[in-house]
Amino acid sequence: MNWSRIFQNLNYAVSLLLFLMGLYTLAMKPNLIKKIMGLNILETSVFLFIVSIGMVDSGQAPVMAHGAAQQVVVNPIPQALILTGIVVAVSTTAVSLSLCIRIHQKYGSLDACEILGREVA
Amino acid sequence: MKKLFVILALAALGVVLLWVVGKMPEMGDSRTPDKTHVVPRYIEDGVKEAGAENLITDVILNYRGYDTMGEVAVIFSALCAVIALLDREKRGVSRSAVDASQVRSSRIVRVTVRILFPVIFLFAVYLILHGENSAGGGFQGGAVIGASIIVFTLVFTLIESTRDIPLTLRVILESLSVLTFLAVGFIGVFKGVEFLTYILPGLSPGVAGALRSQVFMMSIEIAIGVAVGAIFTSIVFAMIKEENFELEPHIPEP
Repeated sequence: MNWSRIFQNLNYAVSLLLFLMGLYTLAMKPNLIKKIMGLNILETSVFLFIVSIGMVDSGQAPVMAHGAAQQVVVNPIPQALILTGIVVAVSTTAVSLSLCIRIHQKYGSLDACEILGREVA
Repeated sequence: MKKLFVILALAALGVVLLWVVGKMPEMGDSRTPDKTHVVPRYIEDGVKEAGAENLITDVILNYRGYDTMGEVAVIFSALCAVIALLDREKRGVSRSAVDASQVRSSRIVRVTVRILFPVIFLFAVYLILHGENSAGGGFQGGAVIGASIIVFTLVFTLIESTRDIPLTLRVILESLSVLTFLAVGFIGVFKGVEFLTYILPGLSPGVAGALRSQVFMMSIEIAIGVAVGAIFTSIVFAMIKEENFELEPHIPEP
């Protein structure tokens, strides 16, 4: 383990931690709303990771003002991609939450074990 | 037992990925492959080629315009899915839990929201219109519009909100973004260049030409902002509405 490099890349390490937290929530929590929250934490970790890749030391925001050429700017592509990713994340969250509403109307519960048990029985 | 297994599996995954983090290039290094391939050209010529000072807007609307058009279609189809599952709210009939509650929201909250609402909305308009020249853009502004309307709906009532923002208006606004994208894209096709070209060949290269391409980009940004705001509003209205409430009268204010 290269610990000094890991501390230099602290953003990557934190996004890794968030990723594992999200994955754990997604796998272990029976409550469907909590599963959706876990999915959102997981997505956020990916956003943090990709935006951090675009960072440049002492870089400015990628807005080229009039005539101000040759300033150091960060990589604009990850930010644009993450804008797309956030919108997709919002869309999936909206659809899954409305599915949760229908599930609750039908089964009276949001607990995955309970719903599956009733389904099987 | 299952819990232990999951934790062990996640720990193993974490150790492997942490090892990878230790092997990755230092954060902020400007010589990594992602910054040396196509990005220098975007930074050098982006303003000239794509027409906006904000390079992210250049990437979103110009270099990766197809991607953004797909994204707009994604959020529109998310709205379609939500409405297919939950149905639209009925004006004057649908109520939310806030409407049915016996306790009105406190006067402090209501006055604060009433004062803040126009300011938040103004900020959203600023974000949308300044997307080319500074931080901001259609999606961000649209999200802020949606958030302001959601706050309004949660503090005042759904009945009130659906009266102020009627369904017939939102139905038009929701599809605006995809349609504007296609319309502006096809302007380029009819002029004989590629789909989604904002800098048309017949234009003078000087200030007037730049202004024309700015108008195209800005119309797309405005359409995206308005549509995203309307879509978020519609999604939340569909989610919080309920039709089978035992309605109890509001407690009159002391």
